[in-house]
Amino acid sequence: MKTLIRMEITRALRNKKFMFFSVIYPPALYVLIAGSNSNARMPGLDIDLSLYYMVAMAAFGAMTAVLMGNSERIAREREAGWVRQLRLTALPGRGYVAAKIASAATVSLPSILLVLLTGAAAMGVRLDAWQWVAVGLSSWAGSFVFAALGVAIGYLATGDAVRPLTMLFYFGLAFLGGLWLPSSSLPGWVQDIGAWVPTHAYTALGQAVEAGHAPHLGDVGLLAGYLVLFASAAAWLYRRDTRKA
Amino acid sequence: MTSTQATTPAVEFSAAGKTYGSVRALDGLTVSLQAGQTVALLGPNGAGKSTTLDLLLGLRNPDQGGRVRLFGTTPRQAVTDGRVGAMLQSGGLMDGVRVRELVALACGLHPRGHPTEQVLADAGLTGIAERMVGKLSGGQEQRVRFALATAGDSDLLVLDEPTTGMDVTARRSFWSAMRAQAAQGRTVLFATHYLEEADEVADRVLVLHRGRLLADGSAAEIKAMAGVRRVGFTLDAVPDGVLEAQLRALPGVTELELSGAVVRLRSADADATVHAVYALGLYPRDLEVTALGLEQAFVALTARADAPHPPGAEPAPATTTPSSPHRKAAAK
Repeated sequence: MKTLIRMEITRALRNKKFMFFSVIYPPALYVLIAGSNSNARMPGLDIDLSLYYMVAMAAFGAMTAVLMGNSERIAREREAGWVRQLRLTALPGRGYVAAKIASAATVSLPSILLVLLTGAAAMGVRLDAWQWVAVGLSSWAGSFVFAALGVAIGYLATGDAVRPLTMLFYFGLAFLGGLWLPSSSLPGWVQDIGAWVPTHAYTALGQAVEAGHAPHLGDVGLLAGYLVLFASAAAWLYRRDTRKA
Repeated sequence: MTSTQATTPAVEFSAAGKTYGSVRALDGLTVSLQAGQTVALLGPNGAGKSTTLDLLLGLRNPDQGGRVRLFGTTPRQAVTDGRVGAMLQSGGLMDGVRVRELVALACGLHPRGHPTEQVLADAGLTGIAERMVGKLSGGQEQRVRFALATAGDSDLLVLDEPTTGMDVTARRSFWSAMRAQAAQGRTVLFATHYLEEADEVADRVLVLHRGRLLADGSAAEIKAMAGVRRVGFTLDAVPDGVLEAQLRALPGVTELELSGAVVRLRSADADATVHAVYALGLYPRDLEVTALGLEQAFVALTARADAPHPPGAEPAPATTTPSSPHRKAAAK
């Protein structure tokens, strides 16, 4: 199992094209969105625009990398028959999912770090040392949830259906979780739904740290719940995949 | 293989069937393989070979009522225990990695994995160990698949048309590597549509056709079955009744057809038949001996299997056992 994790990480690092775009895209979007008016207060939050979007874009970038990377790659590997071969080894389903999460996390970490660096260097964000570390770590750990979701999606769909399905989750989660527009500017009923999606809890971790607090336990619990849910679903789908494989 | 010991069979299918939509890919297969046997699963394309192996490996589940056991347990459990090594037909390989890395992964995942270098050497991959998997030729890919199948100390090796895409030399070295595996006491089951491969390597041959087990016997028996030849020649004169009876009684002849002076017959032993024709003092002209070929032999077998015991039918050139007796059923 460790061998597979190590190998998936090696493969992720070797895939330079995917790595490059996954890493460049979030900081660029960050500068575009928050660049003009970085000191404006976010309505309903005690942090400003540059802080809000730093966490939101770190989350968005990480989610892009792990969702897209995992779902499409896995669907391809299933079609090629590699997963079939892998299922003839003693590897348990959770080992497969763990390896895929590790591989996704390899790509999401540099993208998160680059967003934070952009915040500090270009957007004038100033935080205490512990806050930088905590924002980085929570953004990274939170991305595991979406990596697991990516594995599950890779097993739900094949071929041409993978991308639209991924997009549906991707845009839905980004919108409801307030990654593009602050949740507080959305209609009340959307906010009510949004409070339960993992992306909302994901950015709430970093925002709490930026405001000088510890992340809320409720958010951590919600994310942990989603991680268990997505990872178990992915492991189950991996084992059950007798149809196409 | 007439052992009646109460040992658990390596592989046991009981009424295992599989239907895809309206296609009956496998029709209630019942057969058991004893440990240590090398068994060929022979049949033309679409005979149900791959489905059989999928069920065997737990990649698919048999339809309701059927059951597949490996070493007395479920296929999945046997795989988890590292008792099964498998080489799938055109099974995809992981891309973005080197040959050595992929083989090391297989060795690492196996509960009783062999050293990577040894597996690479046995599969003839040492020279290309640093190459990226995506850049291999078809034959090299097959060797990588073989390495994945033999990465650990498994008790059962399952190979689905393993020599597809190999040239003659590669084929030969592949089978010698396979024999080495069998010599270590492993049970080997391989699917093929080449009778020659089954003949060279297997000590038992199962013939599948349209999802049914047509024959189960030694390679020699199956070969005799498929070794039927067509013999044709022209005589000087139209044969009379006596000569016709003599021709019909020639060694190996299973079928005779006369049209004027032209004689067409089928023989399980063409050499002996032709020899006996001369021994009768006949001078056959335009003598022609042609092989029936495996495909046609299958068709002949199917026709025989479909017919409900034709009275006075031609004797089968070799004994067949359409389904294996259920002797081992009590030994659980």
